[in-house]
Amino acid sequence: MKRTGFVFVIAILCSVSLGCTCSRQSTTSYAAEEGFGAQRVQLASIQTASLQDASAEEEEVELVESSGETVPDPLEPVNRAFFEFNDKLYFWVLKPVATGYKTVVPEEVRVCVRNFFRNLSFPVRLVNNVLQGKFFGAFEETCGFLVNSTVGLGGLADIATAIDLKRHEEDLGQTLAVYGSGPAFYINWPFFGPSTLRDTIGTAGDIFLDPLTYLGDYWYAPGARGLNVVNETSLKIGDYESLKKAALDPYVALRDAYYQNRLSKIKE
Amino acid sequence: MRRKGWTGIVLLALWAVCGFDPAWAGVPTEKIKETTDKILVIVSDPALKDPSQAAQRRERIRKTVDEMCDWEEMSRRALGRHWAKRNEQERKEFVRLFGQLLERTYVDKVEGYSGEKVNYTGERVDGDYAEVDVKIVTKEKTEIPVVYKLRNKDQRWWVYDIVVEGVSLVNNYRTQFSDIMAKSSFEGLMQKLREKSAE
Repeated sequence: MKRTGFVFVIAILCSVSLGCTCSRQSTTSYAAEEGFGAQRVQLASIQTASLQDASAEEEEVELVESSGETVPDPLEPVNRAFFEFNDKLYFWVLKPVATGYKTVVPEEVRVCVRNFFRNLSFPVRLVNNVLQGKFFGAFEETCGFLVNSTVGLGGLADIATAIDLKRHEEDLGQTLAVYGSGPAFYINWPFFGPSTLRDTIGTAGDIFLDPLTYLGDYWYAPGARGLNVVNETSLKIGDYESLKKAALDPYVALRDAYYQNRLSKIKE
Repeated sequence: MRRKGWTGIVLLALWAVCGFDPAWAGVPTEKIKETTDKILVIVSDPALKDPSQAAQRRERIRKTVDEMCDWEEMSRRALGRHWAKRNEQERKEFVRLFGQLLERTYVDKVEGYSGEKVNYTGERVDGDYAEVDVKIVTKEKTEIPVVYKLRNKDQRWWVYDIVVEGVSLVNNYRTQFSDIMAKSSFEGLMQKLREKSAE
């Protein structure tokens, strides 16, 4: 599957130079991927130790529960206050702004804006892939960045995904975890939302790798970041609402969702 | 020469099998696919899109989801060690209320359907347990990885957990439930569930 990714970078570069469309390429790549997937999964089903270990009878459910699968939250009262603050911030400011933006800017454009910002944060992913020893990830990220920055018109079009180059979302928080750091404790920041002490340190470090930081005069960087936030929000209006609707305690639901999602990203 | 021809045909046949009908797709994947396809038919049915049909539409989605999910197993896992301490009566009411909440959450999710694609990307089976990997591709080309966890009971596969982007639904509720019970009691939790279902 990884090989296919690389082969298709070359294929797409050739096909573009020949003036072909990329849609055919991506269908072929999909069929090929399924073939590879079949082998991989069959192998996996022979090799997997036991699914039953992960999920099972009552006693084991207890084990899972007591094995520290939840994040410590000594700052809960403060965190809850900031959760309420962010909740109001979302409904009173961010959501109306993003809704207005959504009515003015067509979806295709908003997807391009998202692609652009994601492509731009490539240095963060590259460095963290390398720091975690994920050299294939670093390589695939680099290919994706080169393809998107050129054929993808400076990152506006995400050609990399279309030709099966996987994204490897690694950040410094995950790198610290790979080096053995625990999450320490949960922090719900005003404005920025869910994090942990480790991930906060990680995010602070990642800022130095983010090209937006070096955007010159000090209004440009916050401006660009603001646009990114509004744009992202406009593409997922309703997500937070449905989390709240499904939850008995939205604060705990969000904290746990954040933590579980981070754990799965670290494992990847 | 003849031999080469045969090899070619065999390879072609193999490729066709791998490429068009994933050879790994076993019974658990079929179970998920069957339910998903049924739901896609319901949510794409223009006759049911009319607001006057909303109740009927929800009811039909609900019934289809019921055929896939084992609400009792989900409840047991979400209560964790507290399950053992509850009597038959309490368990029954809990399964009913929590089942309703899960069902409603699921229906809300699929009701907002707007052309997402569902790809089946893998399956792992180990005795009576299985996991089915699914990628939901949204209109904006965002991929959402979902893992269905199934358990074989009475010769049928039942879903007992759904993991979306690494977040297990059952674990998420278990964290909430144990937090609520630590601060109040099982009765307090039931009260919250009742309020939620009355919303």
